[in-house]
Amino acid sequence: MSNDINQTIARISEIIINELKLEDVTPETFNPDLDLVDEVGVDSMDLATVALVLRDEYGIRIDEDDYPKLTTVRIIAQYILDKLNSQE
Amino acid sequence: MSAPQPSYKFSDIIAEPRIRERWEKVRRYFFLRESTYDMSNRCNIRCEGCYYFTGEKQFAAEEGDTKAWQALMEGEKERGITFAVLAGAEPSLVPHLCEICYKVIPHGAIATNGLKVIPREIDYRIHISVWGNDETSRNIRKAGDMLARQMANYKDDPRAVFVYTFTPENIDEAREVTEILADNGQQITFNMFSAPVGYSGHLRHSPESLHKTREMMSLLLAEYPETVLFSRYNIVAHTGQRALHDLFSCSYPRKNPSTDIGLGRSFRQYRTDLQWDREAACCVPDTDCDDCRHYAAGSAVVTARMYRHATDPLTFSAWLDYVDTYLAVWVRGYQKGQNLCDTFVSPPPTNA
Repeated sequence: MSNDINQTIARISEIIINELKLEDVTPETFNPDLDLVDEVGVDSMDLATVALVLRDEYGIRIDEDDYPKLTTVRIIAQYILDKLNSQE
Repeated sequence: MSAPQPSYKFSDIIAEPRIRERWEKVRRYFFLRESTYDMSNRCNIRCEGCYYFTGEKQFAAEEGDTKAWQALMEGEKERGITFAVLAGAEPSLVPHLCEICYKVIPHGAIATNGLKVIPREIDYRIHISVWGNDETSRNIRKAGDMLARQMANYKDDPRAVFVYTFTPENIDEAREVTEILADNGQQITFNMFSAPVGYSGHLRHSPESLHKTREMMSLLLAEYPETVLFSRYNIVAHTGQRALHDLFSCSYPRKNPSTDIGLGRSFRQYRTDLQWDREAACCVPDTDCDDCRHYAAGSAVVTARMYRHATDPLTFSAWLDYVDTYLAVWVRGYQKGQNLCDTFVSPPPTNA
C-alpha cells in the first residue's frame, strides 16, 4: 500500500508539473504535502485540467464537488486509491 | 439537441487538431481571476429594471479618495486578482478612478451606457449596453438617440463591444441594431434581461420569449458572423428554460459557500464604499438567481465547468466556443476564432 501511494504521488506530481508547467521542481523534489492552492498557486481551472488527465490515467471520475477537498498531492493520491479500491 | 457521448478519454478529445489548437489558445488565459467594483453610485440615465438600483448597494457612500482606490487595487493585486470588472452605476462618470484600476490591474472590462467617452488611455474592454432601438431606449432608458451617440463615441475604438440585452419586448429590434452596428464596423454580443429580486414587470422573460430570443440569436449569428461575438452554445446556455444556476451550479460566493478554490475563494464584489458582502457577492448582485441568464454570470459559471463538458468532442467543442467567446468579449486584444460547433448541444448533467 505504501508503495502504491508513493507511486501514485510521484505520478500525480509529474502530471501537475507537466500540465501547469511548473519550473525548478521535479516529481522527486515535489513536496506532496504542499497546499496546492495556497502554496503552489493552483486555481480551479488548473485543477480541472489535472483532474481530466487523472481521469484518463486511472479511469476514475473526480466529482467537481470534491475539488475543494483535494488540497495536496498526497490527498489526491489517497482519493484516487480509494476510488480504485471501491471499484474492485 | 444532441446527446452527450460517454467514455472518451480527454487525450482523445484534444487529439483532434482543431480542438487541440483552440484548447491551447484558451487555456493560456486560465490565469484570469476576476473581481468587480462599483465605481460610482450615480448614473446619467435611469433604466427600468436596472439591477444596480435594486437592493442596498445603491445606498453605499461613494468613495472618491484616489488614495483609497489605489490601496484597494494594490491589495486586490496582492491577493491574486488579475481581472477587474468596473461597473455600477456608471463608471464613465469617474474616469480618474477607472484609470487607477487600470494602472494596477491591466486586464479588465468596463460596463457603461456609452454616453460619455472613457479615455483611450484606459485600455480595458468597454461593454456598451444596448436595450433596443432608439424608440425603445427612449421608453425604457429615458434617453434619446442612444445608439447613434454610443456609436459616435466609440467609432473605430477596438475596446468597444456593444452588449444587446434581450427583453421580451425588443427581440425583433435586435436585427435592426445588429445591422446598424455591422454597417458601422462595430461588434455586438448578447445579454439576457435577468429580473432583479422582486421584479415582476413586463421585461421578465417567459418561455415564449426565451424561444423567440433563441431563434433571433441564431439568425443573427448566422447572418453576421463577423459582427456577432457569440456561439451556438452561448445561445443554449442563455436562452434555456432553466437558468444558469440550475444548469451549471453558480460558482459565485452568493451561491457557493466554499472558500477553498475558484470564484468562491477569490471573487469579491465591491460597492462604492469599497466594502463587500459575501452573501451578496456575484457579478450581478440583487438579480434573482432563479432567473439569472446574465452574460457576465455565464462567462464565469459556464467557463468554470470544463470537467463536465469533457465528455466527447462535440460537447467539448461547444464549451471551447463558449470560452473563446467569453475571452473575445472580455479581454482586450483576444481575437475570437471561428466557432467549432455549428449544432445545438445540450448542457451536460451535473454528474457528467
